[in-house]
Amino acid sequence: MKKAVLVTLATVALGATTIVTLAADELAYQDQIEARQSFMHVYRFNLGLLGAMAKGEAPYDAELASAAANNLLAASRMNNRAMWPAGSDMSAAGYEGVTWAKADIWSAGSEIGAKSKALSDALEAMAAVAGDGLAAVRSNMGAVGDGCKGCHEPYRASKD
Amino acid sequence: MAVRVVTNLTGPPKTDSKLAARTIMKRTLVVGLTLAVVLACVFFVLTMPRPLGEDQLPEHSVNLANGELLFWAGGCASCHAATGAEGESLLVLGGGVEIATPFGVFRSPNISPDPQSGIGGWSSLDFVNAMVKGLSPDNRHYYPAFPYPQYQNIQIGDLLDLKAFLDTLPPSSNKVADHSLRFPYSLRAGIGLWKWRYLGRSRSNPSAEGTAQLERGRYLVRGAGHCGACHTPRDQFGGEINERFLAGADSFEVDEAADGASVGRVPNITPHPDGLGGWSESDIAYSLESGFDPDFDSFGGSMVEVQENMARLPAEDRAAIAAYLKSIPAVPSDAP
Repeated sequence: MKKAVLVTLATVALGATTIVTLAADELAYQDQIEARQSFMHVYRFNLGLLGAMAKGEAPYDAELASAAANNLLAASRMNNRAMWPAGSDMSAAGYEGVTWAKADIWSAGSEIGAKSKALSDALEAMAAVAGDGLAAVRSNMGAVGDGCKGCHEPYRASKD
Repeated sequence: MAVRVVTNLTGPPKTDSKLAARTIMKRTLVVGLTLAVVLACVFFVLTMPRPLGEDQLPEHSVNLANGELLFWAGGCASCHAATGAEGESLLVLGGGVEIATPFGVFRSPNISPDPQSGIGGWSSLDFVNAMVKGLSPDNRHYYPAFPYPQYQNIQIGDLLDLKAFLDTLPPSSNKVADHSLRFPYSLRAGIGLWKWRYLGRSRSNPSAEGTAQLERGRYLVRGAGHCGACHTPRDQFGGEINERFLAGADSFEVDEAADGASVGRVPNITPHPDGLGGWSESDIAYSLESGFDPDFDSFGGSMVEVQENMARLPAEDRAAIAAYLKSIPAVPSDAP
């Protein structure tokens, strides 16, 4: 009986929270989504430094290349689980056009852990040699790209 | 008056109006039947398979390396190798990949050289007719989920090289079930009408004024690369809307679990600001090589497989594709 009352109270409280949240026109996982999208931007920025050298649009700079590669490696080793709560995918009500993360990330058989590890491994290889010359950066870009695509192919919807 | 007498002799008296009604009915019937027969003939003629003959194949000495280039440019493995295949298994073209569309579920056939389950028993002419006419060796129409409306733009010599390359790949005995399509799309004769309506007009003739690089790009984009199959929007019968060539589309793949909604948008790749307007030619070429867009976001979804195929082409072919994409009409993403 006591338990039932507690559950009821909790449900009511949760409902009230939801209403308050909706009234404030804020999605439940807005912060988490903004955080992970900003985090992706940090990846893109550092990759862009290496990529501009690989494409020949910027001169090779050993120190900058090494710094960028080590930033990427450090980023890939962060534990960002809290930015990715279950239910914060594009199919949840209100999230279309806010996030492009697919629910498959959280479904049974998801390989998200292994895919993240693969990216981190590729970045480790890049960081080890990024200061050794342009050829080393170039030859490791493909594997880093594979690391990114490892998740973006199955788990992110097309944005147009 | 004489008529009246004759009528009286042959049966009960009839009024003029009844006679007139009978004549009209008779005429309607005759006209209707004639029309039906004519329509049936027109339908038969329009939907009749028209394969190429042996005499239309040129003399050709096979270039296997060119065949392999076309294999990657065409992305054959993306539909005909098993889902999730990588590395060597991309060369096992046992088919069976399912594509859920608004018309039903298509299953890609086995095109490995296995003589029973695959196309090992096909002649070069059979292969060319499949690729440019959308016809099976026994003259059945293929559904245009198989992108022959694009492949018809491939030169026959290149097709013969591709066939020779496919013949070198490992056989697979995988048996693939039939497509599961909704009525009336399940009627194959209807494809003949579709071809009559769409096939001729999607043929791309080389333009006289383009540079060699632009022509190469055009050939790869409109032929083997079949970029328009996903990036050009389609009308209600699945025909490409030519005025909106490569201007982006809802994916024709649907999610049956989500009430048949499209799985997402395919981007605009015309030079419009909605598309690749902000991309340089080297951005496009590099993205096809590396999978990174100019902001160093990686490609995702189906484009990953396409990009990984394109990464196997010679650099000058990616540059040609990039140059051609920057040369086509700029079209905004939303229909006017």
